[in-house]
Amino acid sequence: MAQQPPEAPGVRSRRFWSLRPRSDRDAGDAITSNFLLHAMPAKVSNASMAWTYSFWLGTITAALFLLLVLSGLPLLFLYVPSVERAYQSVKDIEYVVSFGKWLRAVHRVAAHGMVIAVVFHLARVFFTGAYKNGVGRNQHREWNWVIGVVLLLLTLFLSFTGYLLPWDQLAFWAVTVGTNIASAIPWVGPSVRELLIGGREIEQATLIRFYVLHIVVLPGAVAALFGYHMWRVRKDGGLARADREEQLETPRTVPPTPTKTYTLLGVARGTAPTVTAKTLIAADTTVNAVPDLVRRALIATLGTIALISILAVFIASPLEEPANPLITPNPAKAPWYFLWLQEIVTDTTIHLGSFTINGAFIGGVILPGLLIGVLTLWPWLDRSPREATGEWFHPARRTQNLVFIVVMVAILLLTYIGMEMRGPYWEFFWPWETWPSLPSRI
Amino acid sequence: MEQRTNSPYPRIDRPTLAIIGVLLVLSCVLFFASDRDHDWRYYQAAFEEEVAQKFGEERAAAVTTGLQQIWVADLGRADRCITCHQATSWKGFENADEPFRTHPVEPLQGHPVEKFGCTSCHGGQGWAVDVIEAHGEIAHWEEPLLSRSLGEDYSLSGNKGALIQMNCNSCHRYDRETKGADAINLAKRLVDEKGCRACHVINNRGGRIGPDLTRVGEKAPEQYDYSRLSGQKTAFAWHVAHFKNPKAVSTDSTMPNFGFNTEQAQALAMLVLSWKLSHIPAAYLAGAPRTDVPTPEQAAEEERMRTGPGAWFVETGCATCHSIQVYGVEAPAQIGPDLSNAVEDVQSRFGRTIDDFLREPTGTMSVVLSRQIILTPEQKAIAVQKLREAFAVYQKQQAEKER
Repeated sequence: MAQQPPEAPGVRSRRFWSLRPRSDRDAGDAITSNFLLHAMPAKVSNASMAWTYSFWLGTITAALFLLLVLSGLPLLFLYVPSVERAYQSVKDIEYVVSFGKWLRAVHRVAAHGMVIAVVFHLARVFFTGAYKNGVGRNQHREWNWVIGVVLLLLTLFLSFTGYLLPWDQLAFWAVTVGTNIASAIPWVGPSVRELLIGGREIEQATLIRFYVLHIVVLPGAVAALFGYHMWRVRKDGGLARADREEQLETPRTVPPTPTKTYTLLGVARGTAPTVTAKTLIAADTTVNAVPDLVRRALIATLGTIALISILAVFIASPLEEPANPLITPNPAKAPWYFLWLQEIVTDTTIHLGSFTINGAFIGGVILPGLLIGVLTLWPWLDRSPREATGEWFHPARRTQNLVFIVVMVAILLLTYIGMEMRGPYWEFFWPWETWPSLPSRI
Repeated sequence: MEQRTNSPYPRIDRPTLAIIGVLLVLSCVLFFASDRDHDWRYYQAAFEEEVAQKFGEERAAAVTTGLQQIWVADLGRADRCITCHQATSWKGFENADEPFRTHPVEPLQGHPVEKFGCTSCHGGQGWAVDVIEAHGEIAHWEEPLLSRSLGEDYSLSGNKGALIQMNCNSCHRYDRETKGADAINLAKRLVDEKGCRACHVINNRGGRIGPDLTRVGEKAPEQYDYSRLSGQKTAFAWHVAHFKNPKAVSTDSTMPNFGFNTEQAQALAMLVLSWKLSHIPAAYLAGAPRTDVPTPEQAAEEERMRTGPGAWFVETGCATCHSIQVYGVEAPAQIGPDLSNAVEDVQSRFGRTIDDFLREPTGTMSVVLSRQIILTPEQKAIAVQKLREAFAVYQKQQAEKER
């Protein structure tokens, strides 16, 4: 069969292309409406590409999420979400499934890594004032910040729901502690807990709820919000760093940019009108997204994958005794990223004679609620000038940066205390003190 | 075409990307290698060599390779022990060293491996395929392999391999004698002889002074108080120490010191730890009564005492701990003194009359009379009267003896 000559000169049909452009305009439209070609800008400023500006934490987080989806898929085939079989199926993954141990370790290490990366990403955005609007029109970076906070909470909840699935003592009691903190919310607390765990006991109903949340609902929500998050970044004119460049750059005369061709877009044939560039797109301050930005994105993504993959060979995932509601391990700890809350709950639980003021309300509800609330609203509370956009530790934001650092350090410290310095009966031990050895049966 | 502006960082970025490519390849090598690195591969190769030496290449080629398991659906056990212990069903390795020894035939006749697997008797972690994990000698696995070497660690005074008998008793708990389980049999005899049931419910029968022991093996190791225990902190060690001297381990215990020797104390510790709530399908317990049945001799003896002149003491429950020689009543557990001469005995021990003592008892009797045998003032009056009658008989017998 003779090949139909394409009508648009210079456009050849390809076997696996669904599109058969009939004209130059068709071909141009296909390109302008192609998502993949526009996920990234054509050009990007050198400054916003710098490793030391963003540390590429958002990309790393996204890479970890990708890795979690990829490693989660085979686990879906192997894990059985029933209280009778869950533990055994995880044992099988650990011991006899080909690459099962590594897959589970990748999933676990990536999950913990994602919590860390998301928090660092948030800190970076805060310290650089990147939630502030710069010079572009219709910028709404504050909304992207809010979405970011929601994504942080979703990440924590994703990790928390995954925590229960192995159905061992670690999982069972961590979720017990976590959901008990939730039940300290006034009036609705017990109902929230009941809704979350599907009853009053952590049982099969809890397992299936957490499972569905973990594999469908939460990843779906993260994927959707992540898409919007990225779209907003483009819509708001890229990283805030670029705005800063534009603001600070003193106007200068740049040589006319070499001509652009608009042939492919179907706007005109041949060489097109010369576009005089402003500084932001001047040749010496910008690079082409392809290949320079793409290369860096690949470095961040593949680097993350390689690192996690290697770590997973050496970091074994814990699997304790099968879940037993009758035996509380000593000490029973929440997942590490909630340990600062558990620590505050302990420290604000006050015994006055026979009275006990339960700290779960202060430590578990008021304080985290207040922190999240203030964090969400911060872009509207921050009154610093425009110039503070996209700059690490801008002097105008010194006080708020200091407060943020103090809060973060406090959280890290409390987490460390909870992780390493709380032994049996939640008693305090200095790092150089050894915990009493735990007894065994035989 | 527009002039391309080059990255200001190509000198760093391209080599970095290349290094990451190398790291990705390295990570593949690493996880492939770590997945292949299992003890069982080594042991299977070694076994093939053993077979080749003993029986020639041809039979060596027929040795099964790869992961092996015995799946017992009824017990929910997947035992992969035979992945390394390949000689279990081979003839000719009876005297070889583990892991390549033939399993003795006799225990398997009554306990076919398809029905029982390995770990239901031996303990250990059937899921695992590496030595330490499979033998359960790791944190968070509470059923270690009940091996001879573990028995040596505990310096068992009798048979060093006796610990496995604990698992025999999961199914055989209602047997009086289990073939091959000498330590458990010894402990069961002691339970009868010492009359543990005077104070403890065992297999749903017994007194209520001490805790119910029917499922005491279920108690978590964290739930014992080790503060007065030196050495190993395990439930087993706790029980051994407790049997040797109850008050030394649990100061407010009213349990008497029976003076058990080490072998007896260890056997009893094994027995009590075997008393677990085990979900064993009915088919595995076929025909066995689900309770301890007294022997015909015991039943006849009990009937004789129940209808004789000492009937009141038997019915009331005094005779569980106290003999009443004058009526021919023999207590199963001789914990308390003979009641025949209680009238004068109480006077000399406590300096109080029998009426006074029964009204406000002290020591063990205060526990017994408040928990186990609860008497109304009228019943106490009867008790005093019965004790006086017994004492009268006693005095008469003593007088006859002297004559």
